[in-house]
Amino acid sequence: MRTFANFRKSQPILQLSMWIYALISIYPLIWMVFYSLKNNDEIFVTNPFGFPTKFHFENYEAAWKSFKVPVYFMNSVIVSCMAVFGAVALAVLFAYAAARMRWRFQDTARIYMLIGLFIPVQVIMIPLAVLMRDFHLVNSLFSLIVPYIAFNLSFTTMVFYGFFRTIPLELEESACMDGASIYRTFFSIMLPIIRPAIATMIIFVFLAAWNEFPIALIMISKETLKTLPLGLLFFQGQFTTDWGAMGAAMTIASLPTVLVYVFFSEQVENALTVDAAVKG
Amino acid sequence: MNKFMGNRLAIALFVLPAMLLYSVVVFWPVVQTFYRSMFDWDGLSAGTFIGLDNFKELFQDDLFWLSVKNGLIFAAVIAVFQIGVGSLLAFGVAEAHIKGRKWLRISYFIPVVLSVTVVCQLWIAVYNGDNGLLNKLFEFLGLSYRQDWLSDPKVAIYAIAAVNAWQFMGYHFALLYAGVKSIPPAFHEAAKIDGASKFRAHLMITIPLMRETYRFCLIFAITGGLNAFAQMFIMSGGGPGTSTYTLTYLMYRSAFRINEFGYGSASATILVIECLLVTLLINRLVARERIIY
Repeated sequence: MRTFANFRKSQPILQLSMWIYALISIYPLIWMVFYSLKNNDEIFVTNPFGFPTKFHFENYEAAWKSFKVPVYFMNSVIVSCMAVFGAVALAVLFAYAAARMRWRFQDTARIYMLIGLFIPVQVIMIPLAVLMRDFHLVNSLFSLIVPYIAFNLSFTTMVFYGFFRTIPLELEESACMDGASIYRTFFSIMLPIIRPAIATMIIFVFLAAWNEFPIALIMISKETLKTLPLGLLFFQGQFTTDWGAMGAAMTIASLPTVLVYVFFSEQVENALTVDAAVKG
Repeated sequence: MNKFMGNRLAIALFVLPAMLLYSVVVFWPVVQTFYRSMFDWDGLSAGTFIGLDNFKELFQDDLFWLSVKNGLIFAAVIAVFQIGVGSLLAFGVAEAHIKGRKWLRISYFIPVVLSVTVVCQLWIAVYNGDNGLLNKLFEFLGLSYRQDWLSDPKVAIYAIAAVNAWQFMGYHFALLYAGVKSIPPAFHEAAKIDGASKFRAHLMITIPLMRETYRFCLIFAITGGLNAFAQMFIMSGGGPGTSTYTLTYLMYRSAFRINEFGYGSASATILVIECLLVTLLINRLVARERIIY
């Protein structure tokens, strides 16, 4: 009877069903990595599900060389890094002034920035396209960098604001007594304190920019300026017969975000779910 | 100190860049969307003011109603799946005896960090009629339930919704898991002493206590579903025929394919109103009292 109780306690059915869903959740990805290493014969006929019998690394070579994967990859890196830098820098400055300094309309300005949280990108796609055309930014990477920075401002500002509010005022008072300028106080004292928040926001903006699709679609048409989400789109036609190379390109495109997640899983989950605490 | 924290130049330098960029690139376009929805406009010329004609035309457009219906189907499928499965898994992973908790959490969450293009291309391969994973699996199990999932107008919208449901389940799981974890264990101990079953304890205690989390999940899933665009664009191009059109897709086609920017703006305006209504409705239904433990 005791062993039965123990058996019940370990809940085998619950355990099993949770692992089954885990399989549903990641097997398609494993399947993708598998077929990126197979030739067509193996993918379609002899071994559609399992581990590759022989590693066909030439798929990766084909994806990297004959198509523009390196170009797309570099564009994604440039756009994501600039977006991260721009959004974090602007937001941290704004948040500091809104949280600590004293000026008229500071609450109004903060709430005004918050409205952006509730605006889906899709809603402003049309005016945004017209705007970028008027600024002559269409078909340059700035047509992506500028909107990516602007779109992430609301959220990053809010997170930094929350952080700054928790820091005791005495820090600035003593800096002021010691004769430090406001700039020096900000850069040498405040910034190091909110480093954890900065790290979280870097991850957040990076993931958002790396994976962004709709804006890239309407802004960029030149092959050499495409980011990965956009560039990969057009593999379909070219590659319909070469699943191996297509899988390889997709694996390359996913690697950065998956690695970021695997190494910083806790921060990534926090970064993406703080959103929740606010928007509701 | 007052002078120190009220340094006007510093304030201007800190505040203006962010405010300016946000105003020009986010706020102004929203105003433009509403304003331009009342124009007959090709995006280039000045356009002519036509009042509410775009909206009248929309309401008579069968494609508009189909798009609204598809948006609702999409939202319903992902809300039910993501929140339902997400809850079950979150309650499960939170149980004390689960082994490999870390691996389970990672497996559930990984699809969330992938790009929508990769996920959609992958699922095009999964759904492929001849060589796709799904049909191969049915073949392997000896079932004759093979079909070309994306080219059946009746099935396509569900097949596409399933992809979004699969990808973002992990997001809702993470939210719900954090919610379960924040409930003090005393509540469950009390329920256990009173002899309540696990199922009953979750139904009567966990779920009501997590009202705030559920409210957010619902808003997120449903407004996300109504806004769906990338999946349709990549996987079906709105087709077969027009069977997987959504409001955003309709907007995209009006503005960027047939140059009816005004008509597109009108669909975007309807989309905003729709999302606003849903958010208000959910806030009404899921009462807003703060729960203090």
